[in-house]
Amino acid sequence: MAKILLVEDNEINRDMLTRRLRRCGFEVCSAIDGPTGVALASRERPDLILMDVALGAMDGWEATELIKASPQTAHIPVIALTAHALASDREKSVVVGCSDFDTKPVDMPRLLAKIHGCLAVSSLPLAL
Amino acid sequence: MSMNPAVAQLNEVVDWFIPADIVADVEMRKQARVFLYSHVFGPYIGNTVPLALYLFDPRPGYQIEVLAAAISAFWIFPIVLRVVGHYYLLATISIQNLIFCILWSCFFYGGVASPTLPWVLTIPLLALFYVGSSPKMRLVALGIFAVNLAGFLYLYNVVGHPDSPIPENAVEALGIVSTIAASLYVAMMAMVYANALASQVELEAEMREHMATAAELTRAAKEAERAGAAKGDFLAKISHELRTPLNAVIGYSEMLLEDMAAGGESESVSDVKKIHSAGHFLLKLVNEVLDLSKIEAGKMDVHTEAVDLPGLIESIGERYRALARQNDLDFVVECGPALGKIRTDPSKLEHAIGQLIDNAIKYTHQGRITLSAGLEAGPKRMEAKISVRDTGVGIAAERFDSLFEQFNLDGDTSASKYGGTGLGLALSQKISRLLGGDLVFESKLNVGSCFTIKIPVDAQQAGEDDRVVGEAIREAEAFHQQLRRLVGRAKTEGADASGKLPGMRAAVNG
Repeated sequence: MAKILLVEDNEINRDMLTRRLRRCGFEVCSAIDGPTGVALASRERPDLILMDVALGAMDGWEATELIKASPQTAHIPVIALTAHALASDREKSVVVGCSDFDTKPVDMPRLLAKIHGCLAVSSLPLAL
Repeated sequence: MSMNPAVAQLNEVVDWFIPADIVADVEMRKQARVFLYSHVFGPYIGNTVPLALYLFDPRPGYQIEVLAAAISAFWIFPIVLRVVGHYYLLATISIQNLIFCILWSCFFYGGVASPTLPWVLTIPLLALFYVGSSPKMRLVALGIFAVNLAGFLYLYNVVGHPDSPIPENAVEALGIVSTIAASLYVAMMAMVYANALASQVELEAEMREHMATAAELTRAAKEAERAGAAKGDFLAKISHELRTPLNAVIGYSEMLLEDMAAGGESESVSDVKKIHSAGHFLLKLVNEVLDLSKIEAGKMDVHTEAVDLPGLIESIGERYRALARQNDLDFVVECGPALGKIRTDPSKLEHAIGQLIDNAIKYTHQGRITLSAGLEAGPKRMEAKISVRDTGVGIAAERFDSLFEQFNLDGDTSASKYGGTGLGLALSQKISRLLGGDLVFESKLNVGSCFTIKIPVDAQQAGEDDRVVGEAIREAEAFHQQLRRLVGRAKTEGADASGKLPGMRAAVNG
């Protein structure tokens, strides 16, 4: 069972997404801000991270950069979640090392497809 | 302040002599006008003196003819000014000639006791009028006067002078004639100067008015810009804040629907579905408000790339075909021949086309929707034409003008009936314009409508148009600056002119 770390500061969104992902069969842990997200990533070693970019003091881009800078967590795929489908956000997500990008509100089938895609790619080296 | 028509006519006469390069300079023109009045009308007054001398002198000789010739020589100055120019040189020569006339008559008719001596008073007055605020020219005028006076005193007292031939009883009469003529001349010049000053004040007032208008416009434009930006920021913020709770409404209702599907609780399903669809509708509205506010605030970025137009049209058609079927409508895609790649922002174009198809499906109860694309030579360049034609309810002609206004929904047909937000057409039009094109339409009530997006095949060319607009703005700014400069000068001139006024009054009264 794949483990997903959800970094999201809005309580309702966090609760909703956590429960929906659990229903789909994922193990989910969540963080309410950037620093907690970075700490949980290194402690829990999830298979995938869903990162809201509009967090508080440390935004999702910064948190992703920290996760990608650490050798223990660099391999974990990160999917960025933003409120707007701006081309600049899409570019930024690539720059900081995100594997994919999606907009809120989440369209569950679309997000699940992206999650499965990322997990399939990251599991390839293990299969080899 | 309105000008006496006779004065205006006189001004026209003397203005004819002013060379073009002086006309453009407000200060120079004022001086030249005073100079011309003095030279056109002054010799008439001045020549009364040699005339009186001729009458009172028992042995009139060459000295009177020289004086009359020197005074009449002033009439040549306006013509020379018109033909040759060199205003300051002419003014200097004129002052020298005037000093000569006065001292010449004094030399022959009694020295410092001469009846023509009052004319000396006119010299500093004229020098001031002719050379204006130039300190260098004032010094030159003063220097000429001093040198002439010294030469005169030396000649008169050391070398010797002729005795005045005027009989004693005539000296008084000559003195009266000369003084009256000098007074008349000074009065005329003072009036001319006051007149020139008045028209300058008028000009200044006009300039200040223009300046105030320009400043007011600038302020209003800035205010509007600020208000627009504030509104845009507010809408963007509010829209963002609205999305978060909407996410919850949509997400939780989806979860409930999933639960219900699994547990078979069917009676609440339709209620939750209503919550879900209302949430989606609200989200769409919020997104459209956000997009509109971004475009209006100039914050919507356009990312152009080479776009395969037939491919884009096909994929849009694919997406809407199912929705049209659900509404029992045929959906046809027609792509013209030789339709290749265009340079534009594909996601924005897709958005604009999608809005039009949404609308077409909404307002069509039976028949077909046709999505077509082609190229056409526009008025300035090649244009891509993307049309959405329907066989729907159509639009009444009286609504044509207000069709693109925001929240304009078909009169009796409310948003709830058709599920429209009322922003779709406005947004589609704004996006088309953002891409350098426009949205046009034709429609007939109960027959159908056809909306057409026309955009340049190369958005770079639209950028070229923006450059032209930018140039126009720069020109306007340059004009504004020029106006500011003129007003700045008018202010200093105004201060200068008011500084002269007391001196002039003293000269007139004295």
